[in-house]
Amino acid sequence: MSHSLINKRSMNKSPFNKSAKLTLKGLLLANPWGFVIPVLIGVLASLAGVALLGLSGWFISAAGLATAMGVGLVFNYLTPGAIVRGLAILRTSGRYGEQVTAHNHLLGLLRILRLWVWDQRVAKDSANLHEQSRGDLLQRLVSDLDQIIRWPLVVFLPWIYALLSYVAVAIFAYFILPALLWPLAIAGVFHVFIVPYICGRFASHAVHVGQILGVHRRSRFVSLFSALITLTIRGHWKDYAERLEQLDERQRKSEILIQQAVSLGRLLAYGVTIALLACSFYLIGSFSGEAGQWLLIDGVKGTWMIGYVLSLLAINELVLPLVQSFVAQGQSQVGLRRLNQLHQEPLIQEPPIREQQAEIHAKNDSEQVIKMAFTHWRGFHASSEMGNTALDLLIESGDRVWIRGESGSGKSTLLAAIAGDCLSSGDAFINDEKQDLYGNQAYQNKISYLPQSPYIFQQSIGANLRLGNSNATDSELWSALDAVVLADWVQNLPNGLDTLLSSQGRNLSGGQRKRLALARLLLRSSGILLLDEPFDGLDKATIEHICSSLQNEYKPDILVLVSHVESQLGIGARIIEL
Amino acid sequence: MTKSNEAKKARRAGRVKTSEATFLGELADQQSSKYRLAQGFGVLFAVSLVLQAWALANVFSDMALHQSFSLSLLVIGLFALLLRALSNFGRERICASASRDIRYGLRSELVSHLTKLGPARLRIEEDAALSTRVYEQIDALDDFFSRYKPQVFMVTLLPCVILLSVVSISWITFFVFMMTAPLVIVFMIFVGHKAAQANRRQFSVLAMLSNQFMDLSQGLAELKRLNKTQEARDRLSDSASAYQKTTMSVLILAFLSTATLELFASLSIAMIALYLGLGLLEVLPWQVGESPVTLTQAMFLLLLAPEFYLPLRQLGNDYHAKQKAEAAATDLLEILNTTLSDTTIQTAESVMSELIESEVVEKEAFIGFHQLSWTESGHHRLAPITAQIAQGERVWLSGESGIGKSSLLHLLLGFEEDYQGQLFINGQAFQNIDLSDWRSKLAWLPQTPEWVNGSIRRNLLLGLEGSQTPTDEALQQALEKSQCDDFIQVLPEGLDTKLTELGSGLSGGQMQRLSIARALLSKTDVWLLDEPCSGLDNDTAEAVLDTLESVSRGKTLLIVSHDTHPITWADKHWTLTKGGLNEPFINQ
Repeated sequence: MSHSLINKRSMNKSPFNKSAKLTLKGLLLANPWGFVIPVLIGVLASLAGVALLGLSGWFISAAGLATAMGVGLVFNYLTPGAIVRGLAILRTSGRYGEQVTAHNHLLGLLRILRLWVWDQRVAKDSANLHEQSRGDLLQRLVSDLDQIIRWPLVVFLPWIYALLSYVAVAIFAYFILPALLWPLAIAGVFHVFIVPYICGRFASHAVHVGQILGVHRRSRFVSLFSALITLTIRGHWKDYAERLEQLDERQRKSEILIQQAVSLGRLLAYGVTIALLACSFYLIGSFSGEAGQWLLIDGVKGTWMIGYVLSLLAINELVLPLVQSFVAQGQSQVGLRRLNQLHQEPLIQEPPIREQQAEIHAKNDSEQVIKMAFTHWRGFHASSEMGNTALDLLIESGDRVWIRGESGSGKSTLLAAIAGDCLSSGDAFINDEKQDLYGNQAYQNKISYLPQSPYIFQQSIGANLRLGNSNATDSELWSALDAVVLADWVQNLPNGLDTLLSSQGRNLSGGQRKRLALARLLLRSSGILLLDEPFDGLDKATIEHICSSLQNEYKPDILVLVSHVESQLGIGARIIEL
Repeated sequence: MTKSNEAKKARRAGRVKTSEATFLGELADQQSSKYRLAQGFGVLFAVSLVLQAWALANVFSDMALHQSFSLSLLVIGLFALLLRALSNFGRERICASASRDIRYGLRSELVSHLTKLGPARLRIEEDAALSTRVYEQIDALDDFFSRYKPQVFMVTLLPCVILLSVVSISWITFFVFMMTAPLVIVFMIFVGHKAAQANRRQFSVLAMLSNQFMDLSQGLAELKRLNKTQEARDRLSDSASAYQKTTMSVLILAFLSTATLELFASLSIAMIALYLGLGLLEVLPWQVGESPVTLTQAMFLLLLAPEFYLPLRQLGNDYHAKQKAEAAATDLLEILNTTLSDTTIQTAESVMSELIESEVVEKEAFIGFHQLSWTESGHHRLAPITAQIAQGERVWLSGESGIGKSSLLHLLLGFEEDYQGQLFINGQAFQNIDLSDWRSKLAWLPQTPEWVNGSIRRNLLLGLEGSQTPTDEALQQALEKSQCDDFIQVLPEGLDTKLTELGSGLSGGQMQRLSIARALLSKTDVWLLDEPCSGLDNDTAEAVLDTLESVSRGKTLLIVSHDTHPITWADKHWTLTKGGLNEPFINQ
């Protein structure tokens, strides 16, 4: 599947360039034209909804009034009737159009954001990458993305609708009685700005705490459960489980707080509406003692007033969801903050894609590595600084080097450092030119490194192999598979090369995974092969076959081997004992 | 409303109740009193709705006809609106609290269930994935319990109340409602079904997309080495675009059906409005010259009409909450259905009472098995074995994978209950001994040592709190014996080096040595080891086994190990086969 995609090189323009941080504003502007359409349609639909209620109220009351005044027969009921029907259709179709276009926009955002995350991760250097490659961390990243893309749809659009509906009703109110604008403006400010803001602020702390607690709780869960038996047999599980429950209890409290903010906010919004209605009635009425009733002041038409009150009730329905959506905004912001932690200032050695490609082309012409010299070379892990003891090493074309040593002596670390995959100290000279190997893409293009636990992708066997060489023919794939003694196995699979491998190659044995990764490397046909324990878990015959492949058709110029297993490759190899 | 009720019943009967639905129903029943209170608030809401419509209708008609309004009616109307807000507030809070009680209760139930399952929990999934279920999946039930569940009640209540209040005023409106409600419901079921199908498909495609993203991200280091990051990016971009295209074609249809439903509801309202308008103008074809309703009644009907369809539409919106909950329930049920079945315990106990008298021989042994076996769905997972271990004896247990070696260790740890036959500890049946007392005698060294996030020191002292805390001297001694001191001294932070899930550059052999040090610190007499050397290369394994030999003298030891890592110093070598236990030779 992948090889068909590889050749199609679509340039993805994205406003989130690699160096940009994510912001909510950036989200809105990510695809402005895609966003304008749903906004416009949605605004039309919302206005139509408010107008529908107002107008039909006016229509019915005007009809009643006309009959009461005896002019019922000449009352033009066709035009308002048609408008009411038109508004109903506009509202429905508008909602439909808004949903369709907004979702289209949302899916586009998902793509843009995923690629942004991808670029950020690509820009990370390998040592940091490992930290973030843990399954649950990535899982959270994916759910953060889903949370964030919903922001325009859930928060921004409803807010715009409420705001514009207020404006429309304000125009209507002006024609009834300009004084009505005062309470309307105050209520509008409360409904659209103050109440959502206060509730959002009030809840955002709780949302933030809740999210942190969630992460904390989860890692404590994993940590405790991974030592479940030890803790249980020591009789201390209860104490530890209680701590887990305490975290849960705190989470519950923050959840209550959030829920209270939402409920109270809604109640408050209702309260504002009621106060607005009361004020409006107070402004348009004057008490007349003789009738014992409130009369409308002169110039205010009762039928219009009915339309106005009904549109206020319609607005109330529009502002109620705002409170909740502003709490949701808190969640988006926490998600954003977490995603932005991925972001780091672009590394200098990170060449832009085009340069990178130029380098790939240049690679074919560029000189082969014929000499690698290392002085005081020591590879070490970023977290513990454990590694090998510093050594001097000279490897020349035609060399075969076998690195041996006890477990814990830093064989793998040394090899990883040579491969530029791990932090190192000391100097490296490639073809007598001093180079920084760590994360050096140009250098890594010239070598093939088999790490201790290589990654197998959830793709077909063929696609996995073609990651080594995207132009490889089927027969090249088969010969590489044959070299690592996997050809028979693949042939017996019902789907052959198209067999889909499960996530992280879980349906393969450790030995198969490693051999598949080795076959992938062989397809790269680069001159330098760095192999970390390639024979783990393999039987003698298989090891021999692989060795002879590596000595004949797939013989590299330079082979560096880390292994505790005796093999033909070891015969005649320069041995480095750590 | 009877018709719509029937339709609902038909819908319920038509669908076989899945185990998920039953599970969710049972959970909801735990909080039935809260839900009843919420229903009370729902009734209050319905009453205030009608009251508000009535009061405002009066105010409106007075305003239209007389340019005046009655203050008392206005106050009633606004009061009804307030009542509506308050009852909504109450309903929300109660439902949210019911949902919380259900979820947090279920969560602690799940955690204790997982604790009880012990090592068996890994049959379901690894810990990180389990934590997703225990936290995220349970929270995915929230919308169902706090919104969907109460909304189902409102969907039956509100239309009923509105129909009741309408029937005395206008037969025609009543009939319009009566005719359309079942149609709307039938349509809803149809749309809901279609939408559900579309949703499911969407969900699986989205899951595939996330999966692809996860997969490529996890292998990013490999892609970088292969210089294929740009290809992977293109792949991500292309599949996301393809997803957008297919999703939109599905969504256009899905939204169209909801839109048709909305249109249907609006048209019904428009029909009523038209009827009322024409009626007020006295131009209805069959009633020319007279009005079937007064203006007040017309306003009343008009105010209630949208409310009649609103709950139905809301239920449609909340429908995905139900789907989400059912999907989560599937995962949660899998955990709860994984049990150490206790039916066999009872039979074991009845067997035991017979045995107690007859079997005396094995009572002498420190650990004795008598005809001990497991069956799993009718097959023997472990053939019946009869054997004993004396105090201070070191036993090597080998056999094919899946033959039940680990289960035997788990049984001794007290995590396996599903067995037949008998196990005696110091002559006492295993069921009768004090489990925590027995467990405190054990040290556990599994294939992958059990580590928590924290320093090496914290991990060594894990579970040795309070009076058990060893002195620094004892700690040093244990480290020396297990030959950990060499590599710990080299660490820049020594004992305070953090161990994380990813390890910290310590090799497998070093981790096992730390595990041995921990076992030494616990000062226990019975050591259970599950393939401590698998995953280590031969030299390292031999070195670790040598250390084990020297530190475990005098301890009772049961070590599971493959033939590739023979335990030459063991007093006994047991081989588990499908036929039972063989004792090929006894050392010495």
